[in-house]
Amino acid sequence: MSRRGTLALVVRQEWRMLIADRSLLLVLGLLVALITYGFANGLAEVRTRDAMVESVLQAEAKAGRSQLERFDRIASGQELPSPFNNPANPAIAGNGSGRQAVLPSAALAPIAIGQSDMMPNSYRIGTRSKVEFMYDSEIESPWNLLSGHFDLSFVIVFLLPLLIFALTFNLLSSERESGTERMLLSQPLGLGTLALGKLIPRAAPLLAVAALLPILLLLAFRSEAWGAGWLLFGWAALVLAYGLFWFALAFAINTLRRSSSANALMLIAGWTILVLVMPVMLNLLVERLHPAPSRTELSIQTRAIQADNLRRYDDLFSGDYRYIDEPESLQAKDGKIEIPARTMASFLARRDMDKRVDGLLDGFDQSLAGQQAAADRLSFLSPAVLAYEGLTVLAGTDGQRYLTFRQDVSQFHDGWRARFEPLIMNGVAITRPDLENLPRWQAPPHDRRGAARALGWYVAVMALCALVAGVLGCWRLRRYTVA
Amino acid sequence: MLGLIARKEFREFVRDGRMIWAGGLMVVLLITSVLLGWQQQAAVQAERVASQELDYDAWLNQGPRHPHNAADQGMHVFKPSPPLSIIDPGIDPFVGSTIWLQAHRQGETKFRPAQDATGLKRFGNLSPAWIVQVLAPLLIIILGFSAFATEREQGTLRQLLSMGVAGRQLMWGKALALVLALGVLIVPGALLALGALAGGASGDVLLRFALLCLGYALYLGAVIFIVLGVSAMCRHSRTALFVLLALWIGAVLIAPRTIADVATRTFPSPSRVGFDEALSADLDGASEKEWMRNFNVSSAWDPKLPLSQWGKALQVDDHSGYGVLDDHFGRLWDTFERQQKLQEAAGVVAPVVALRAFSMAVSGTDFSHHRHFSNQAEKQRRLLQEVVSHDLIEHADPLGDRHFSYKAGPELWAKVPRFTYDPPGVGFALRKHWLSLAVLIAIFLASLLFARTAVTRRLSA
Amino acid sequence: MLEAVNVTKEFGPNRALNGVSLRVEAGEIYCLLGANGAGKTTLINLFLNFHQPTSGSVWINGRDVASAPIDTKRDVAYIPEQVMLYGMLTGLENLDYFAALATGQRQPKDHLVALLAEAGLPADAVDRRVSNYSKGMRQKVGIAIALAKNARALLLDEPTSGLDPSAANEFSQLLVRAQERGVAILTTTHDLFHAKQTGTRVGIMKRGNLMSELDSADVSHNDLEALYLQHMRD
Repeated sequence: MSRRGTLALVVRQEWRMLIADRSLLLVLGLLVALITYGFANGLAEVRTRDAMVESVLQAEAKAGRSQLERFDRIASGQELPSPFNNPANPAIAGNGSGRQAVLPSAALAPIAIGQSDMMPNSYRIGTRSKVEFMYDSEIESPWNLLSGHFDLSFVIVFLLPLLIFALTFNLLSSERESGTERMLLSQPLGLGTLALGKLIPRAAPLLAVAALLPILLLLAFRSEAWGAGWLLFGWAALVLAYGLFWFALAFAINTLRRSSSANALMLIAGWTILVLVMPVMLNLLVERLHPAPSRTELSIQTRAIQADNLRRYDDLFSGDYRYIDEPESLQAKDGKIEIPARTMASFLARRDMDKRVDGLLDGFDQSLAGQQAAADRLSFLSPAVLAYEGLTVLAGTDGQRYLTFRQDVSQFHDGWRARFEPLIMNGVAITRPDLENLPRWQAPPHDRRGAARALGWYVAVMALCALVAGVLGCWRLRRYTVA
Repeated sequence: MLGLIARKEFREFVRDGRMIWAGGLMVVLLITSVLLGWQQQAAVQAERVASQELDYDAWLNQGPRHPHNAADQGMHVFKPSPPLSIIDPGIDPFVGSTIWLQAHRQGETKFRPAQDATGLKRFGNLSPAWIVQVLAPLLIIILGFSAFATEREQGTLRQLLSMGVAGRQLMWGKALALVLALGVLIVPGALLALGALAGGASGDVLLRFALLCLGYALYLGAVIFIVLGVSAMCRHSRTALFVLLALWIGAVLIAPRTIADVATRTFPSPSRVGFDEALSADLDGASEKEWMRNFNVSSAWDPKLPLSQWGKALQVDDHSGYGVLDDHFGRLWDTFERQQKLQEAAGVVAPVVALRAFSMAVSGTDFSHHRHFSNQAEKQRRLLQEVVSHDLIEHADPLGDRHFSYKAGPELWAKVPRFTYDPPGVGFALRKHWLSLAVLIAIFLASLLFARTAVTRRLSA
Repeated sequence: MLEAVNVTKEFGPNRALNGVSLRVEAGEIYCLLGANGAGKTTLINLFLNFHQPTSGSVWINGRDVASAPIDTKRDVAYIPEQVMLYGMLTGLENLDYFAALATGQRQPKDHLVALLAEAGLPADAVDRRVSNYSKGMRQKVGIAIALAKNARALLLDEPTSGLDPSAANEFSQLLVRAQERGVAILTTTHDLFHAKQTGTRVGIMKRGNLMSELDSADVSHNDLEALYLQHMRD
């Protein structure tokens, strides 16, 4: 009989046995439950964040409207301007428009919560200094940040391998322990065919559910996912490659001819090292290679810069509040407006702060980028790292995306201030069309090309890991002797 | 007799390589983590102490300046790194360590180390606590799953029992062997940590260390008895292994996350935007009310108020905010603490959660300690505000529009004392987290009872 | 049909077979006698390619086992001392699977049932799960598998040990029928009586060596016993 025919026979037999002892059904049922729960968690989290972005944008619109209304009331003399809320004053308009820079969630965001529970997805833009608005973080109980979330990425990275073990730890050892191995191999049946025939009916349904069920859930509950296109294939490829790695590893362990218990122990030990220990060690290494500059040092520097600024603009800071006697001085006249001395001083001090602190902040971004690059290079040491990074990239909740967002916001903020600077320095009054046409933040689309590049690397390395494990197993198989 | 059983058992651990490979890996990890933690803690602590000094020096020597400007610039406080963070860094990677104390608004701790790290940080932290909480139970399973089940399979169990060895004696002997094995693996790391702490450790730190040892002993003891009990219950060692591995995965891996999710859903935390907006709205509301009451003007810093009143106004404005700040931050932090309380109680299902809470609390790296620090820092900020506004009232602008030309000098700056953080004693930790200790004790006793019952019922049968 | 040529097999420092040569022709029943550890089962394992010879070679139907391990198994059926089957499946389902593996195609159900009957399995056991079978019943399924394969050579490892006398007798009759069809049969046994009764030739093994070979027709039972004991003593 052809090898393929024999293979089909073994597959059919194994399938019947798996159905008969209910193990496949049990594992599949568990997988479905875990995926559904993880997905629901991720989805709830994303919906909360989407609602947050929505409310931020509403707040922006409201602030814009109220500024326009106040502008009109002051222009028509209904309201007396105060030094702190006069929109004709460019220093006030620059800060009070409530402009927000937001990072909308990506199409496949429910896959992985990633860094989204810690990194802010909105910043309020104004003429404030970066030290005043860019150090914020999302509110989440630190305990939860420490525990991590039960999302889809957790199910895939941590739990899928364990479910794979449940079906494969005794792939070959059970045949030996039950004595059927001798019966089987006295027939014209190669060990490789037997192993493959036993792997297929286990891997196919398990990986099909792991790869496809989340896609169905995404398409059903997240309309954005319909436009995700190839990203969905990326997801499937990543899950398949990751699953195949663990199947290959289980196969390789089985070729060592140990008992089922020993196999289970070795698999759990391997999992502990690759999934629990390796990523932690890797992080340690990466942090050593590219240590973040000291935040404490940053605080001290910030303070020194600020003290400098207070000295430099001391005259302005000590300036009188003439408007107390001459409130009309706060009104715009012939396109000009007098900027109160202290307002001017704060603007200048903040501008100078950013000029000097930018370099320091860049240091942090560079160290983070360096860490990420090193982690990517070393990620072949742990398929779990590859999978986790890949999933967060797909979900758009990876550290890199938040880093880019922060850099974009920083740039937008620079541009925003540059627009107001000449107006403030020259005392040019803001007009109503000016107020209406302030630049808007364009949320950057999820960089799918970048994601594709990163994902391609992760999948390729993982496939290579799977191949290595598989080849090792095949090599051992040639020396496999029947007891 | 007990020694005899334990010695035979221990010899088996060593002979079949389980102890060498699995245990060796754990020892290496443990020692590495203690050394790294030690180095990190020393470096961070030294830097924070030095920075705290620098910052206060800068405050004292800031030269003549208008007090309001000085308050706007404010000062920084740095959270000291607790000595026991060598063992359990707790939530430290996920909370900031620096608070910028400024006029007008309560500061929050900034700069979470995790924000300067990649997503890898989310896999966990290599700390002695993590290793003992997560990996040690697995090691006990690897060493102990076969304790009774294999003897049953080999038939040696019948032989032993026929010779008049009582099941309970066997259990205690095997437990002793497991304790010895763990001792060999863990004690060097613990001694190293103690050595790291001993340099200038206060009695409080030593007491905390002893409590930590108690907590971990209860936890590991519970694991030992559960493992022995399951091994006695199962006919085959294979079954025992699978049951124990499933328990480990469920209790150590899945439960903490699930419980955290449940806690968040039961007591939801606000979003950053929601929190900030609500706080701002309430602050504005309270402030406007006070301005109206004190100065009869409709908004804060109303141009109608003469500058000579601004010192008083600053004080009124500050005071109006205190209640609102206490209320909002108090509610947020209460939410976090309620989430944690729920999880501690849920430790009955997943002992690791109770242990984690206890370990962090005793190490001084949990949220209660963090909150304590934040409160002290806020007190310092209010003190600073009081000094400034009081001085401004004293030096109220006599000319009417020259409020900001007044400059205070070093005498005023010296009125704000140096910020010295006095961390709470171990009593604070116990008062806040007695529940987790109670849960640990309950789990220990329950598992002991379980093992005894399993051994008496199953071995005689 | 079955041939071992100067076969040596070493497991580390232990030599399990030491230059053994034997040949089993079609229509012959060759009984290997010997104590535990004499190397009988090792020799069988070599014919099945469960192990590979350290030196020398084994041949089935003129083909070297080591170079054509799968193909040579088409020509040989094997019944181990303990026939182990899938406990979750019935006797018929087990036969269905193994027969299909052996012959390369699924056999009609009637045919399989007939084979089980021929092997002597009670009709009411055919559709019961094998986990409830006795050792003898499993043995019969093993025989049915061998019958289904219709192989030209048969390897038997202690086939009658643990069978009651009547079952052993039935088994011997089956062997003789196979012999008459021209099957070459190599069987190991401790049982002198059985060897003398059914074997056409008898080989005595000791510590990896084939000490002597004789035609069972040429010796009386008593001579055989004397010879065997003498070899055991040395």
